[in-house]
Amino acid sequence: MLSFIGQFLTLNELAVIVMFLTFIWMLFRGIPVAMALVGVSLVFVVIAEVFLDPYRSYFRDIIEFDRTGIDYQRLGALSGRIFGSTVKNPVLVALPMFIFMGLMLDQSGVAQRMMRSMQKLFGSLRGGLSLTVLLIGIILAASTGVIGASVTLLGVMALPAMMAQNYSKPIATGTIASAGTLGILIPPSIMLVIMSDQLAISLGDLFMGALFPGLILGALYITFIVIYGLVKPDAMPVPEKTEEVGWPVIKEVLLAVIPPMILILLVLGSIFAGIATPTEASGLGALGATMLALFNGRLNMKVLREVSRSTLNTSGYIVGIFLAANFFAFILRRYGGDEIIEGLVLSVFDDPYAIILFILFIVFLLGFLLDWIEITIIIMPLMLPIIQGLGIEADIPDYGQVAAPVITWFAILVAVTLQTSFLTPPVGFALFYLKGVCPPGVTIGDIYKGVIPFVLLQILGLFIVFEFPWLVTWLPSVAYGN
Amino acid sequence: MKAPEELVAVSDPGEVGREEHNRGDRFVVFMSNIAAWLFPILMLAITAQVILRNSGMNQAWLDDLQWWLYGAAVLIGVGYAVTTDSHVRVDILYDSFPREKQTRINIFAIGWLFLPFIILSWDVTYDYAVSSVRADEGSDSPNGLHNLWILKVFMNAAFIFIGIACWFAVKRYVTRQHPPKLWRMMWNTFPATFLLVNLAIYYGLYGVMTVLAEDGATSRDISRGPAFGELEFGNYEITYTVIAALVITPVLILVLRAMDSSRKTGA
Repeated sequence: MLSFIGQFLTLNELAVIVMFLTFIWMLFRGIPVAMALVGVSLVFVVIAEVFLDPYRSYFRDIIEFDRTGIDYQRLGALSGRIFGSTVKNPVLVALPMFIFMGLMLDQSGVAQRMMRSMQKLFGSLRGGLSLTVLLIGIILAASTGVIGASVTLLGVMALPAMMAQNYSKPIATGTIASAGTLGILIPPSIMLVIMSDQLAISLGDLFMGALFPGLILGALYITFIVIYGLVKPDAMPVPEKTEEVGWPVIKEVLLAVIPPMILILLVLGSIFAGIATPTEASGLGALGATMLALFNGRLNMKVLREVSRSTLNTSGYIVGIFLAANFFAFILRRYGGDEIIEGLVLSVFDDPYAIILFILFIVFLLGFLLDWIEITIIIMPLMLPIIQGLGIEADIPDYGQVAAPVITWFAILVAVTLQTSFLTPPVGFALFYLKGVCPPGVTIGDIYKGVIPFVLLQILGLFIVFEFPWLVTWLPSVAYGN
Repeated sequence: MKAPEELVAVSDPGEVGREEHNRGDRFVVFMSNIAAWLFPILMLAITAQVILRNSGMNQAWLDDLQWWLYGAAVLIGVGYAVTTDSHVRVDILYDSFPREKQTRINIFAIGWLFLPFIILSWDVTYDYAVSSVRADEGSDSPNGLHNLWILKVFMNAAFIFIGIACWFAVKRYVTRQHPPKLWRMMWNTFPATFLLVNLAIYYGLYGVMTVLAEDGATSRDISRGPAFGELEFGNYEITYTVIAALVITPVLILVLRAMDSSRKTGA
């Protein structure tokens, strides 16, 4: 049988295919990602050590293969990789700090205050509740970055109010799901932290680069809601009795909105002004969120303890995938997997932009199965050399300031794609998180129906970023230009 | 219906499913709860550095301290996530599996896949830590945190911690099915046990050879000794120590199983 396969593939290609298939099979069995990754790698270490010595093996006559060179001694190289990628990694310090900040902000009651006050402000406006949700989503997006957390928080907070006001179920759920997923794009998002580490580009550039695309998407959503409200007034009825919008209401809104705005300014502003590195901004943000919780009277020992422990848990499983993916990448490279995958992707299309679209499509499909954590850690490093080799540097403006404009632009495209993927029926992650907190009357069908317009808007947003790369690269160039 | 505040409240990950935890699990949770405090400390350290640097008193050691704290905490976190069963998985099918099947999957994932990797990582980082101690490795920055070897030794020790977390997590899952006798545990973590036995034989032999070696023999001479030779099987070769481990591990499990009195009485 091997000799038959040998007519089409080299043994290395076969091994790489089997590696990925085994990995996917393990994932579907429910084996945690980190454990599936190390499991597959261990199996292929044994295979390499025991069977694949080309100087001895009889395989060499029937199937072509390159030496993997894996032996126990060589695995010693892992130690430096483990230390360098997970421990001595100043960029990743931002990871637990932003997680801490997000969890603390959820606890601080800021979102609930914004909800209560903005509801009054927009109460008489058609689609007011949807707008409230979108604005809170955009403001809080800066805080969380874990889609599950934002969607759950918004769902729990806003859905009952929207139902009580007789909003149509699809529009209510669609708004919440899409507002919640904005969080993975709008900085400071922890996905961008991991991307910056995996693609070896500046985190500050990524944060600044993501800002315009994120705001454009937010604006598209808001425009859609306003127009939808005009075309189909029944879907978003205005409540019968509304409070008059006067100074007290405006004051309440300001009091609710200003503290989180200050927090965002603290984080993004300190990076923009060069006072702090992005990593340090995460620490400032964490402290700021803690202060907010303190001022809102929500901070006590129990909250601090539980936020710290949850942060440890979340960063623990993310770093677990880091450890595992490191090992996997090491073994994959020994089998020549990098070049095989690169050759495969490059052989599909000639046009560099077609290749980028193809990669985005793959990422979109993977987003159905995997969370952004696995995709950024496992897939991004494999795509990096491909993008670097496309030779499109001349098309992406760098304004003489941005170090890696193509990669930065590509990273943002992937971020928008993933966000779209998480929203897309039937298996987008955000939809299921939302279903988990829906009141009984809302079906998954309502959610599917509701997100479709938002998915289309996402695709429009992706297209805009794709067509106008300066949207990504201009702001970083200004931020660091002076 | 609960108030929104309650629904989004974070829960303490170490307290979920506590009634099922064994003493080892509680040990992991206890240590992790201490490590969790590194994050508020990290937050303060970062803030202090930003303030100090912008007022012209840059403290290079605070830059190093940031990733020291981060690195130490997250390594503990990996073990914590094993105990709290929070490593990310694709749960489309898993959630609908019966509990027994979920238990089997978890035992396999931790005992057969993850634990061997942790032991492997422990072994490869051991030399790394030892050579760092020997070289009295310092910081990249002249005013940074010196004694980098502390962190490397800690990383090595952290793998033991993660290993403990894995072992007791497997034990907890095995307890759902049978009494967690040692032989059963060894079978449920077979590749890990095999790797451990192999390492024990190798290092034991290495120790004996070091004592027996002539004066002036380097570690290279010792590891090239006849005891570390290879046996040829046609196209393949296997070192003696691996063969020994391959024989000893199953024998050990079978002997322990035969000695297990509870099995005969059907308990």
